[in-house]
Amino acid sequence: MGIRSFLSLEHTSRNELREILDLARAHEEGSVEGTLTGKTVCLAFFESSTRTAVSFELAARRCGADVISLSDKGSAISKGESLVDTVVTLDSLGADAIVLRHPAAGSASLASRHTAAPVVNAGDGCGQHPTQALLDLYALSKALGGFDELSGRRVAIIGDVLHSRVARSVIPAFTKAGMEISLVAPRTLLPRDAGAWGLPVLPSVDEAIDRGAEVLYTLRLQRERMTGARIPSVGEYARFYGVARRHLRGGALVMHPGPVNRGVEIEGDVVLDAASLVPNQVAAGVPVRSAVLTVATGAAQRVAA
Amino acid sequence: MIPTPTDLVVRNARVLDPGAGLDGVMDVRLAEGEIAEVGENLRGTRELDADGLHLFPGFVDVHAHWRTPGREDEETIESGSASAAAGGFTGVVMMPNTDPIVDSPVIVSGLARKIERESRVRARISAALHVGLKGERLTEMRLLKEAGAFCVSDDGLGTASAGVLRNGMTYARSAGLPLILHCEDHTLATGVVHDGVAASLAGIPGSPASAEDVATATALILAAETGARTHITHVSTALSAALVAFFKDRADVTADTTPHHLTLTDDLISTLEGLYRVNPPLRPDADRDGVGEALRAGVLDFVATDHAPHASEEKELPLEEAAPGFLGHETAFAALHTELVLAGKITLPRLIEAMSCAPGRWMGEGGSLAVGEPADLTLVDLSERWTVDSGTMISRSSNSPYLGRTLTGRVVGTIVGGELVHDRTGAQLGTRG
Repeated sequence: MGIRSFLSLEHTSRNELREILDLARAHEEGSVEGTLTGKTVCLAFFESSTRTAVSFELAARRCGADVISLSDKGSAISKGESLVDTVVTLDSLGADAIVLRHPAAGSASLASRHTAAPVVNAGDGCGQHPTQALLDLYALSKALGGFDELSGRRVAIIGDVLHSRVARSVIPAFTKAGMEISLVAPRTLLPRDAGAWGLPVLPSVDEAIDRGAEVLYTLRLQRERMTGARIPSVGEYARFYGVARRHLRGGALVMHPGPVNRGVEIEGDVVLDAASLVPNQVAAGVPVRSAVLTVATGAAQRVAA
Repeated sequence: MIPTPTDLVVRNARVLDPGAGLDGVMDVRLAEGEIAEVGENLRGTRELDADGLHLFPGFVDVHAHWRTPGREDEETIESGSASAAAGGFTGVVMMPNTDPIVDSPVIVSGLARKIERESRVRARISAALHVGLKGERLTEMRLLKEAGAFCVSDDGLGTASAGVLRNGMTYARSAGLPLILHCEDHTLATGVVHDGVAASLAGIPGSPASAEDVATATALILAAETGARTHITHVSTALSAALVAFFKDRADVTADTTPHHLTLTDDLISTLEGLYRVNPPLRPDADRDGVGEALRAGVLDFVATDHAPHASEEKELPLEEAAPGFLGHETAFAALHTELVLAGKITLPRLIEAMSCAPGRWMGEGGSLAVGEPADLTLVDLSERWTVDSGTMISRSSNSPYLGRTLTGRVVGTIVGGELVHDRTGAQLGTRG
């Protein structure tokens, strides 16, 4: 069984996605155990993270792995060691998988060229965040009754696409699942050539609903981007790009990779509404990352190559 | 067709509308606020004899400062719109550099209500492109649009940061708002008049033409890159006009120049009178002729007046201390007819295209005598010679650079939505019922 890195989902097939989600379900149901017994999983976080780091660590431990955790505080990373040197060190220590979070796009791919161990990208800059997209697919499949139920569903991806690694992984993942995607954002929060995705751009959540959106996937708006340069105000943003209760009347589901700015991306009391999959997304983190680590280290039989 | 009770026929006017392809002595019937019919021997319940007068589509001015809110001593919506009507203008865009700046939805909706009550002409609101026109934070353009803003502008100050301008243009495009840009680089524009011979001899601090040209180039490059619908206002140099020409098919861009930049030059600086301070400043002959040629050729799409009233205490000052700006509405047509048309520099149809048709198309309303268009039109006596006099100005202010000059061609009547909103001689335009 070969190992494989998870740098992005661009070259991951539909069958492979299904296989990972199936494996995640097996992990959640407890029908697979100890897949990583005797393996060492290294978490190298060059950027602070709460839910992603915790969920990877839990996932690794539940599969029986030993976990080495380096974060930007109190480690070689905080002493200014370079990405490549850290990866080489972890490789020398016998890491069986390296889970990397880094503020610059392309870091995971750079790291993978300096280690024999598989690299799992836990988010690199505005680049990719493949495990987030996988857990989103998992949570959504579960809510809709299975992976095949995603096909033909209309999803609006809303907000700061420009700075979002989540969007750059979710767009190919949702596309492969057969979903029809539209983008809802002001042009100041879209990449200049967003047209390269070939997706329609809509002016408001209202418009997305009018066009039949069944899933409203909201992206986090960083605080420093809330006023001034790219958008005028939180008020105007929330008015056109925020999900409000009125958007849920037709049964639309709401998603967000977290952490949510209540009252900005999603109206405060909608975050924990029945239509909100935000808690489900968090819950999907551990089983999906268990499956990813299992596949990455070659501990699971793979259906598709 | 049975005349409706409210209709009005303007009879025997020399009708000229190059946009609609009209040129000849005809009657125009107006009904229910629209142009109902253009032809011969039309009858109506009310008739207006326009024998000997020219009838043009109403002039449209996309650049006016009506000083409301904040300086109602200089102009109000009532007086500004009356002044516009007296100049034959039936549509106007109000600029946002008032006190307070028009940068919030509540100010826009307040202005919209005031326009509804007071304006004699169709007035549109330009909101500010950035908060306080400080060039930092973008305004809530989508909410401003909902409140009634027609476009956004940085007029009066410009946008110092190209980065802010680029984001502003990109966001305005998303909001579906056109931009009117004032192109001026303040690191270069450190003087009060054009930095040329007249300034050098008079010892008045000059701002170089590059202050406008550099900013115009920046705006045009960003317009091409962002795809924003961009209008460059008060182009005053030959080089800026050439830059506009270069970008004409590379960006969604239009441009205007003003009557004063087309007719006056910086030799007026030698008078040392504060009256002649304006921004952008009056330029030398070569620039005046360059923008004139660009207007003739259509590189500059139309004329806008930059009507900028100032109280006498702001103009009766040394040039360096005077407020910049000229009145524009009431003299625009006469000055251009006298200095350009009668001098053989542009044709009358091109002037009407530049004062009515082209700005009307930009506004999306007015500037056309085609059937079904708003009944906005202007009646002009092309042969009347008159002397510009501060005592007869309709505006609350009197800072016209043409004071004392004798001009040929005078607006005698202006009709907006089928109603006479300016009637200079009363008796001459008295309608027969």
